[in-house]
Amino acid sequence: MKTGIKIALSIALLSSLSFGGEQFAMSDADRAMYAEMLDNNPADIMVESGSELLEEYCGGDAGLAKFLNVSEKDLPAYIAGFPRYLEEFKMVVGIDQVLQALMHKNSHKPFALKDGKMFDMVAYTKSIANDVAINIDVNANKHMKEAYALGQKTFDTKRGGRGLACLSCHSPDVIGSVLRTQPLPDLGAQNAGGTWPAYRMTKSSLRTLQRRFQGCMKNALLDVIPLGSPEMVALEVYVTDKSKGQAIAIPGLKR
Amino acid sequence: MQRREFFKKLGAVAAVTAVMPSMSFAEEAKPKGPNEFSYQKALDVITGGKPAKTSSKVQLKVPEIAENGAVVPVTVEVDSPMTESDYVKTIHIFATKNSNSRCVSVHLTPANGKAMFATRIKLGGTQDVATIVEMSDGTFLTAAQSVKVTIGGCG
Amino acid sequence: MGKRKSLIKIKPKKYKDGEVVKVSFMVMHPMETGMRKDKETKKLVPAEYVNSVKFTYKGKVITTMNVWESLSTNPVFTTYMKIDGAGELKVTYTESTGEVSEKSIKIKPKG
Repeated sequence: MKTGIKIALSIALLSSLSFGGEQFAMSDADRAMYAEMLDNNPADIMVESGSELLEEYCGGDAGLAKFLNVSEKDLPAYIAGFPRYLEEFKMVVGIDQVLQALMHKNSHKPFALKDGKMFDMVAYTKSIANDVAINIDVNANKHMKEAYALGQKTFDTKRGGRGLACLSCHSPDVIGSVLRTQPLPDLGAQNAGGTWPAYRMTKSSLRTLQRRFQGCMKNALLDVIPLGSPEMVALEVYVTDKSKGQAIAIPGLKR
Repeated sequence: MQRREFFKKLGAVAAVTAVMPSMSFAEEAKPKGPNEFSYQKALDVITGGKPAKTSSKVQLKVPEIAENGAVVPVTVEVDSPMTESDYVKTIHIFATKNSNSRCVSVHLTPANGKAMFATRIKLGGTQDVATIVEMSDGTFLTAAQSVKVTIGGCG
Repeated sequence: MGKRKSLIKIKPKKYKDGEVVKVSFMVMHPMETGMRKDKETKKLVPAEYVNSVKFTYKGKVITTMNVWESLSTNPVFTTYMKIDGAGELKVTYTESTGEVSEKSIKIKPKG
């Protein structure tokens, strides 16, 4: 029996190596089937519950608009520009950190950044900007310029036991190569900035972009950078900027 | 190490891990689920031994390669007028090699207007997904398609 | 109202009387098979799954489903229904634990 398995394995290995691209990649038809599932995204329920949480803890869309000092009419376009440098914070922040501050202001104990309820609320808040083009401005001020530079550095720096960087799998020269049946995505063209938070099918849960970065780091054996840290927010700035101009569509649906 | 060389190696490792899972499945002793129901047994119970014909009227849509075994989209569409005298009574969906092959049985009525059912199923490994469709005249139609389950992607 | 969050979706959002529309029911449910080990305790997680779903439109049962544990976590059930006047669409689902829950929406055809 043992040899049988060994032979089967080596043949499979041989064929996967020589035809790796064709044999283990999904077809466009398969991909279309998964895309259709967006119609009934389980995360729709989480977005709805995020809307209730925002109402309860932050005074809903109106409360958020007031806190951000914009009109409710301008709120979608304003949200489409996150992460942003905000004077009150004296730093570049993501939507989640804004929500924490607003919860605190309203005398509620803020949800942790990694809390599922926070993910739900972030997803709803970003969905306010659905169909609006991402308008992050990395040249808006020196803080955004610095965040962009730090984000690029974080993206490009090789770390961990395998010496991998985000760039190792997401540089233009490897995009499209098939790794474990999946083509390595072009984060910009595939609108990473506009389609997270998303439902992760393999995790059966809603995840944010920063949380996805953590999953990537963990799998690549890199020390995981904390959510909301300057490096993590900077990474979100850098990756979101790659999708600038593309329409926000929350919740996304990912493998 | 050159990056290109590194990637070749990375690719080779990835290919092995992509092949391995389907083999280790068989070797592990599986815990028992709440309902053990083989595909053959389910077929006998549902059709009562009547033949189930493969028909072009039944469209079973599943991916050839599933991105992961936890969420596999399945759609069954049946060409039927859905009138009182001629409609699809039940659409059964099976994961033929799961220890409980039965996934869902959907009992439709003419009020559905169109005979279609879509859901997502879990597959324990590469196998056929099958559907048996029971028509209002008591006949059975069937369709099946193989789905390759890989553990793909990163993270 | 059950303890779980659920959602009924009709597509297209605006529809007329007589139109055949897509109807989906989604529920946040773990769909435990009883064969999965908890990562921390290393113990099998007991089976717990939705075992039946029923669509009732204007008091008439239009679709029923027998469901087993092989459906994915947070399952989705999609079929069609023919719009036949204003009224309630109610989805009732039962779980392997015996718990029964329901969710409903108003069907309001335009024109």
